[in-house]
Amino acid sequence: MNDPSVPEHEKDSAGSDSTEYDAARAEAAPEPASQAPDDTASQVADGAVPDGNVIHDGSEVADGRAAIGGGDAGDSSPEMVRPEAHTRAERRTVARRSERDPVRATIRGLGQLLITAGLVVLLFVAYELWVTNLFGEAKQAQATSKLDQLWAQESDTVSAPDPSVITQPGGVVVSTAAAPTLAPGERTRQYNTTEGVGFAKIYIPSFGADFMFTIVEGTNQHDLYAGPGHYDKTQYPGEEGNFALAGHRVNKGAPFDDLGLLQSCDAIVIETQSEWYVYRMLPQKDEVATWADTAHAHCAGVSVQTGKYKGVYGQEITTPADIAQVYPVPHVDNTVVPAGAERLITLTTCHPKFSDRQRMIIHGVLTASYPKADGFVPPEMQEVG
Amino acid sequence: MYGWIWRHLPGPFAARFLQAALLILVVVALLMFVVFPWVEPLLPIDSGGVTN
Repeated sequence: MNDPSVPEHEKDSAGSDSTEYDAARAEAAPEPASQAPDDTASQVADGAVPDGNVIHDGSEVADGRAAIGGGDAGDSSPEMVRPEAHTRAERRTVARRSERDPVRATIRGLGQLLITAGLVVLLFVAYELWVTNLFGEAKQAQATSKLDQLWAQESDTVSAPDPSVITQPGGVVVSTAAAPTLAPGERTRQYNTTEGVGFAKIYIPSFGADFMFTIVEGTNQHDLYAGPGHYDKTQYPGEEGNFALAGHRVNKGAPFDDLGLLQSCDAIVIETQSEWYVYRMLPQKDEVATWADTAHAHCAGVSVQTGKYKGVYGQEITTPADIAQVYPVPHVDNTVVPAGAERLITLTTCHPKFSDRQRMIIHGVLTASYPKADGFVPPEMQEVG
Repeated sequence: MYGWIWRHLPGPFAARFLQAALLILVVVALLMFVVFPWVEPLLPIDSGGVTN
């Protein structure tokens, strides 16, 4: 009984009250004759465990105690009376034996599977919150550089700008929000769009001077991964009707992360190949009652919506199925742009954050537009919050 | 499972350790680049648009 391997072996079966277990173990790993006392030792352990389930081994406990010549086995926990295996080889043998046992192997495998599943879920959270942003930022940077290249090429190849647009020598256009150099309706769109490819840039100065995203055409999952996407059946910047964009709020670059912080009259500036368009957010629902009596900065051209536009507010929370929000006249289920329609912008994103349950909608109205010229930046871009 | 893999990796401890680290990296990369992008659209997490 002083063989050090014996008590170690007893550890394997400690706590087990199954006789099939011992039989299976014996079958899986036939013992040499010299280790015959193992069984006695394991029965000692069984009896020593302070557990009613194994009390049937009680008679053998007495034998076991006598065999090991000590009276303290019953007082101590099984761990206390068990010396460690002395050599690495012995430990390995023991470990191997216990791994071959089908019950242990199954339970261990199940435990490892559950731990692994937990780690995979944690990894998915890290992926959602962090890795998709890295991917999204890379796609956005790619879309932006592609758009910049396109604009640089086309400005080389396109003939001299329309003389009515550049009104000042030196290419600098001086215009005010109240008097755009050219009414948006008189401009013609000079760009074509391709699904997934950038065609304009969006700036929201109140979110900081560095808030700029390239807008791509289309709103499928690949388009929105690269940046805010234009609902391809809605109108284009500056046009009558509704220029509608969708964007992610919490991951994949999260262009519309802070949309909930946008205040009425905040500028949303769109840069296209040849124009700047300045939209301003409409009054919010709770501001409507007092709108006329309150002084507002930067609110020229922004008013409470009336007529067929009644009920269109700066910020709305709606359901994901509310497609009419991006129609020419929001809330009106008609995709035809009516004569004399307002020039609106609509931004959509998910709401609340991390959820797909609702949508946050931002509506704005066009208040100014400028032709692009070297060195010219719309004054609204200075409204950094 | 992990014990089985560890025992079947050849070489001394350092070599096994490196191989195990490499295996973990491969699995993580597979999850990040293949499995998660595939499973993500199936979950109701974040989608910016309105549809009918």
